[in-house]
Amino acid sequence: MIRPLVSLLLLPLLFSAPAPARPVSYAGGWTLIEESDRQVSSALVHYTPSPSWSIGLRAETNRDGDFAIYSVHPTFLAKRWFGGDYQGNLYLHGGIGRATGINGNSQDDATAVYGGIMADWETRSLFIGYRSRYLEAGNFGDQFMHAARFGFAPYEGDSGDLHTWLMLEIDHRPEDQKPLAATPLVRFFKGPLLLELGYNLTVNQPLLNFTYRL
Amino acid sequence: MISKETMAVLLMSLLLSPAGMTQDHEHHGHDHNEDAHQDHADHEGHHHNEPEAAAQASDTPAVSHATLTQTDEINAALAKGGEAIVADVMGVVCDFCALAMNKIFSKREEIAAVYVDLDTKALSLVLTPGATLSDETIAELAVQAGYRISAVRRGEQALGQAS
Repeated sequence: MIRPLVSLLLLPLLFSAPAPARPVSYAGGWTLIEESDRQVSSALVHYTPSPSWSIGLRAETNRDGDFAIYSVHPTFLAKRWFGGDYQGNLYLHGGIGRATGINGNSQDDATAVYGGIMADWETRSLFIGYRSRYLEAGNFGDQFMHAARFGFAPYEGDSGDLHTWLMLEIDHRPEDQKPLAATPLVRFFKGPLLLELGYNLTVNQPLLNFTYRL
Repeated sequence: MISKETMAVLLMSLLLSPAGMTQDHEHHGHDHNEDAHQDHADHEGHHHNEPEAAAQASDTPAVSHATLTQTDEINAALAKGGEAIVADVMGVVCDFCALAMNKIFSKREEIAAVYVDLDTKALSLVLTPGATLSDETIAELAVQAGYRISAVRRGEQALGQAS
């Protein structure tokens, strides 16, 4: 009885939309993004030449696969929907770089290529996000993941206030032993700083995301 | 046996149910009348100079009547004689949006003070005395920040003193 109900509840989560907050900034803006989920830890610094795209350098470590990728990472804002009280975005992101073994992984270095989409829609109190990525890393293998996120803000802060969001992220990694995982998290937002603290209930690992916008 | 993940999903689904999403803060259009604005009147450091009767009877979507947000910086620039401008901004929903607008507009030497009010979705500007800034330039600067301007008000209209 409970399984169909849960499936019904999960379905819209999988087909709705998490994305880093604003992967493209204002013209001339620099952004530092750190993300750590149940499989990958990464750091990205990007520059936004125009409000429609950004270019950055990204380093990531894949803890399960014992390899690291160092890449050039462009992001394109394909479409932004504006409203008086909402904003929606569709991004295309990708990267090309070098994959190298870590933690005793002695495989030869390989070219790594990845790409995917990110989308979000938010008001000041509701958030829906989606992101996907396919990675091809030569002898280190290929991976696909996608994740959806829902969030709501218990109160609406104004400019400069501390903004707080309660969110749930559901990620799906088909090749994993546990393909589907849930991560409840709290997002704090103040001025140029964004901090996300969560815990993956499926694999018992913390989530820590941090963004600083210059 | 219900797993921890299932419990988390169920809990969030309940919280995000239609009843849970019906909030007092839900804003429609730009009509920030007195009642709708009451919850936001106490933000530290600034004050919204709303006109007495902000709503208009009309079949068309509500039009914003947001006026200049008063901050110390805005008031200081006004006291020096700078022109007041208020622009309605589409899509500003978070602090990163406000930061982007502040960064872009504060680079301009014509602008003495800038503030983005997320409550009213309004960009408040005060120019340096004698400076001018066209509506087109304001719109272009908003695009550089990644947003769109839907209306610009100046002078008494921006200050909420128009008859």
